[in-house]
Amino acid sequence: MNKILIVEDEDALRLLYEEELAAEGYDVTTVRDAEGALDLLGRERFDLIVTDIRMPGRDGVELITQIVGLRKDIPIIINTAYQSYKDDFMTWAADAYVVKSSSLVELKARIKDLLAR
Amino acid sequence: MIEPHPFLAPDLQSKEPKELALLSIVSQSFFQPFSVEDNLLVILTALTSGSGVGFNRAMLFLTDGDRLRGKMWLGPRSAEEAQSIWKILSTPGIAYIEIIEHNRSLLTLEADSLSRRIQPLEFSLTGDNLTVPVTALAKNEILLVRDASREMLIDPRFLQAIDVEEFLCVPLISQNEVLGEIVLDNAFSRQPIQPKDIKLAGLCGLLAANYIFTATLHRKMIGMERLAALGEMSMFIAHQILNPLAAIGGFTDQLLAGPADETKRRRNLEIIRREIQRLEKIIFELAHFLKVEPKTPAPFDPEPEIRAVLQALELKAAAEGRELTSLIDDRLPPILGDPTYFGEALRNLIINAFEASPPGGRVEVTAERKDATWVVVSVKDEGRGMPPEVRSKLFTPFISTKDRGMGLGLLYVKRVMDACGGTVEVESEAGRGTTFRLSFRTREEGRPNA
Repeated sequence: MNKILIVEDEDALRLLYEEELAAEGYDVTTVRDAEGALDLLGRERFDLIVTDIRMPGRDGVELITQIVGLRKDIPIIINTAYQSYKDDFMTWAADAYVVKSSSLVELKARIKDLLAR
Repeated sequence: MIEPHPFLAPDLQSKEPKELALLSIVSQSFFQPFSVEDNLLVILTALTSGSGVGFNRAMLFLTDGDRLRGKMWLGPRSAEEAQSIWKILSTPGIAYIEIIEHNRSLLTLEADSLSRRIQPLEFSLTGDNLTVPVTALAKNEILLVRDASREMLIDPRFLQAIDVEEFLCVPLISQNEVLGEIVLDNAFSRQPIQPKDIKLAGLCGLLAANYIFTATLHRKMIGMERLAALGEMSMFIAHQILNPLAAIGGFTDQLLAGPADETKRRRNLEIIRREIQRLEKIIFELAHFLKVEPKTPAPFDPEPEIRAVLQALELKAAAEGRELTSLIDDRLPPILGDPTYFGEALRNLIINAFEASPPGGRVEVTAERKDATWVVVSVKDEGRGMPPEVRSKLFTPFISTKDRGMGLGLLYVKRVMDACGGTVEVESEAGRGTTFRLSFRTREEGRPNA
């Protein structure tokens, strides 16, 4: 069973992703911030990471970069409400960029693609 | 020894050469809150007044894309009028607004005869057979034209409009950008144009060109800043709205996908309801913020307003485990402002202070008369304080340190304070808490008899 790590600070979305991805047959772990993610990544191995980019000016993109730096060959999906980060070179290291919407179809499709590679 | 000097010396006109006085007045006008047109008017006035440079008439063309268009033509109707205008201009400590009013009325008077004659004129800046006045721009040279009717290289419509044999074309070019042209003549006095007048006209041309260039650049910059702020705002709102939308969509899809047990159905609906409320709050806050339109500041007694806000927030303080204390001078004079917005601004600051405070932390509200002019209301918290990078962006919209903040609260406070002629100051040190100080003008200020 593929293990997915979700980094998301919105409580409702963490719950939603956990349920929806578990229903797709993944083993899902969720954390609320990038620090929690870094901590877990040091101890466990995951097959894929889905992470939000938080508010600019706080820990923002740098923590994503740290996660990117930590991973060896784990695919990363950036899942955020910020369309504009798509062009930010800091996010190029991610394997996919999914802008949040009212539907999970795209996110699920990207996860499936990346795990099938 | 250190000795201060005014920019415009009162005795400059009587002792110094008139050229210096002229340049001094023209450059001074750039620092006044005039429109671009008004400033160009000052230059044209300087060029056409007897004691200034001494041309009789000055016409101004401005470029518009690849065309040069007639804009205004200033020409006193007599030498006496020119003299009187220059006298006003050279008066030490003159009210600039008066000069501009004078010039404007002059221009309106002349609109029938002079400006109206050149406003329909326009010349292409490109092409092979360039004629005067465009030639001066193409060559970037001041051109003195004599015996105009015998010259072939003058635009016939232009010659017909200006109707003199001798005139001077001064190109307005800055940073290789063609901005316009000033054309000068002595239609009334019939005096030949002197080399020294040409030099001064050239200087005025450089000043005018640089001024137009800077003014245009400034306008572009403000436009860009607005656009950037708008971009930032749309990005922020998109973010604030997409998160609740993603939750609403996701949990709705779960319900649509198939039968769910009652507990899950209820939970989903509750989440959806909550997220809808969140969206509502975002829209409300935005509308609330955009709606700040305080009335003309009027005197009111601040004490009951402060007490009302404190009383309303006591429950919140207790519920969140914060201590709310106050020290209100009971002999506060009336202050200038709008009581509704005053209360709202104070409320914003106190709620912020609650959020910044540690559990059990104390928020202290004080109000005191500082001096005859100011009453200061301050809100102090025992939070972590703010690092400089946060402090520098306090009043920038859509930047918030809170998870779900809109970044509008403090800007709201600032707008309220600006509207009543007051100020907002922040004192904050990392680890030592933050104090916001609102300074309000007292009713007495500026009205000793009130």
